[in-house]
Amino acid sequence: MKRNGLRALGLATCAVVLVSLIGFAVDVNYIVANELIEEISKAAGLALVGDYLSTDPEELEELAETGRTPGIRLAADRALFILNGREMELFEMDDDALLELAKEGDQDAANMWFFKNRSDYKVPTAIEEYLLTVEADTLAIAAGKLLGGFYVPGSPIGAKTEDELVELAKNGESLGLRVAAATALTAIWNADQPLTIDETRTEILSVTLVYPELALAYQGYLAYLFSLEL
Amino acid sequence: MKKALILAGLFLVSSLAVFGQGYDAQPADALVFPIGVAGTVYSDMELGVRGGTLNVPNIEDPRGWNNHTAHETSTTWFTNRMHRGLLNLDHISGAVVIDFAKSYEISDDGLVLTFHLREDIKWSDGTLITADDVLFTFNDVITNEDVDCNSRDGMILPDGTFPVCEKVDDYTVTFTLSTIYRPILNQLAFNLMPKHKLAEFVHKLNPDVPVGTFNETWTLDTPLTELVGNGPYLVTDYQVNVSVTMERNPYYYGYDPAGTQLPYYDKVVNHIVANQDVSMLKFRNGEVDVYGIRPEDIAVLLPESAAKGYSVMITDLANYGTTWILVNQDIGLPDGTNDEKRDLYRNVEFREALAHLLDKDTMVQNVLNGLGGPQWTGVSLPSPFYAGRDEYGGPITENDAVTFEYDPALAASKLDALGVVDADGDGWRDLPSGEPLTITINANDNTIRIAYCLIMQDDFRAVGLNANFQVVDFNTLVGDLFASTGDIILLGLTGGDEPNSGKNVYTSCGSLHAYRYSACEDPDEVDLRIDELMDLGANTFDLDEAFGYYKEYQQLLAHQLGYIYLCQPTFLYAHYDFVGNGFMASPTSTPAGNNGLLTELCFDKRL
Repeated sequence: MKRNGLRALGLATCAVVLVSLIGFAVDVNYIVANELIEEISKAAGLALVGDYLSTDPEELEELAETGRTPGIRLAADRALFILNGREMELFEMDDDALLELAKEGDQDAANMWFFKNRSDYKVPTAIEEYLLTVEADTLAIAAGKLLGGFYVPGSPIGAKTEDELVELAKNGESLGLRVAAATALTAIWNADQPLTIDETRTEILSVTLVYPELALAYQGYLAYLFSLEL
Repeated sequence: MKKALILAGLFLVSSLAVFGQGYDAQPADALVFPIGVAGTVYSDMELGVRGGTLNVPNIEDPRGWNNHTAHETSTTWFTNRMHRGLLNLDHISGAVVIDFAKSYEISDDGLVLTFHLREDIKWSDGTLITADDVLFTFNDVITNEDVDCNSRDGMILPDGTFPVCEKVDDYTVTFTLSTIYRPILNQLAFNLMPKHKLAEFVHKLNPDVPVGTFNETWTLDTPLTELVGNGPYLVTDYQVNVSVTMERNPYYYGYDPAGTQLPYYDKVVNHIVANQDVSMLKFRNGEVDVYGIRPEDIAVLLPESAAKGYSVMITDLANYGTTWILVNQDIGLPDGTNDEKRDLYRNVEFREALAHLLDKDTMVQNVLNGLGGPQWTGVSLPSPFYAGRDEYGGPITENDAVTFEYDPALAASKLDALGVVDADGDGWRDLPSGEPLTITINANDNTIRIAYCLIMQDDFRAVGLNANFQVVDFNTLVGDLFASTGDIILLGLTGGDEPNSGKNVYTSCGSLHAYRYSACEDPDEVDLRIDELMDLGANTFDLDEAFGYYKEYQQLLAHQLGYIYLCQPTFLYAHYDFVGNGFMASPTSTPAGNNGLLTELCFDKRL
């Protein structure tokens, strides 16, 4: 719930920038280079990963480390993930190695561990039970993403309503549950497109300090809206 | 630059060597698929445009390019796109329909099938396709003992003979049967092979080559420029362990109603990957356009589908096949024991009681993750002969379904009425004589089957039946099945469209009539009627009439509860939204399915 003062200052500054941008065409590259609100910046970054693939890998390495905004760093990191064939590298690792990396903070390794072991979690209750004892945030997030797939309307088992998901994203008892709700909410909004870019940015501003996982849900949706602008 | 031009010229010459130029205009005898035509099963489909590449995943390399010596789907995946036969399955409904034959007639006595071939249609190298190619394929390849042909057994008629294939003229052939046998139509859908390319490799036509030479023809070592077909695609490139590329056959005779020659896609690239998980990763990354999903994939795919622009098809269409339990009605018969138990198991009211204890809803929810449905007949739901339809190939209505709802109270009352009650007060129901009744349920080590059995065991016990589930290895289980030992066995069978292919299961003397082998020597009225109906269904070429016979036999079987059917998982598929007509994927065919039917009707909507 707590955020430091610098972030609050950034929020206020960005609100001014946001107001000034309303009514203009969306320039995702401008946003990724200048946006101070983390979720909006990252949304722009996610939308631009495809563009970053043509950047020199050495430059990407530098951007991933020292890029000026979270969005730039994320876009560079994801582009490197693709260019370096990291996904198949992780896929070919055994479960123990993946778990070790996950516990050291490697989110991609955690995601891959869950992908490879998803047959053991065929029902949402199995993941919900796992979340009660999960050892690392990376694994909680990975489990939450898979659980979110069960919560999406249209899922044969475990589907939740949008209202239920919003509540869970705000007040879910664990990080994994909140991520699950956020994952499902993003999926719903991507399909229904209930908000414009400006409306979504406004929503992010209203929740980022209070409900980070709900902001994460809006981030995912905003990334999709940005991608449609490219 | 000059070198580049020379290379381009060589490439052009090379290409022309593989493919002819194509037709100047739509042939008069083209096969037109009624895409988008109201009142047909194609009505929801869109007319497409030509171009683009369909990228599909595959987990095995092909082992050759010879359709008739192939024994594995990793090869027939390609040959089924390179070749077509006189008949085929309808790409959407799955019914047997004309393909390279433009029509066919059956003589009044049902013994002579006359096929009229499409005229002025060419092989991919520009050579005309004639009756000689049909005779070559049937007489010199399929029924030639020198050829290791997988489909030969299917051509054998009930009296052990083959149909006699003869040429009437260049575009007419006949198949003369010694006995009426409609299921032969499915077999006469065999893929045609080009005589002008392959006759020299058949010993009976060319004694200069050793016996069996044909089996070594069109192998992976054969230059791809040698391959000739009449189907929508030809293999043009193969990179071992990487990919196989197929390109359109300019002389394919399929068209859409707007006059566009099929297939729509210029190329199909089959990406060979290590396993299904890698297929899925490639699908998520957009490297392949379609993917046959498993239940555990859904939670991964659903959340990102809208953003990535693909559709996850979670359908209520059952896949082919059946899963069932059998109550061994011959228990103790081989060794003269268990007389009372056998009498009980032979009592259909006892089996009805058990049927009312099968909680299929829970099985579907807890075992199939909600992705399945109950079964009540031995014919696969996708079959046009499935009794849940009102007419041959019609929609499934289940108007006449013979079902036994989950109703433990009703089951208990039926058991009471049979005298199967707890006589000694130990909490378990006993045989009517008061002797203890124990029921063993066996299945092999299969997670789905085990889960079904555990649900059954709980429900049986809840009404006082002393049921015990035991896992046994598959071979032991099959041994029990054939030896009429054991109480209740849970197993499954593969399925197809033609009910007669299950004749060995359902007729009284069938080799898999495992619920009561003694019916062969001591058939009851139902057994005799089913035997009759199976023959009647096969001995008519009138599909509606056959449907009537097959529907009756399915209903009789359902009432008889020899095999008691459980549940079947539903069809799941995923495709990018830019794959036009990909939404028509079904158990009959998918854009990347082995039979290759839907592939030629899909197109790239981005063009």
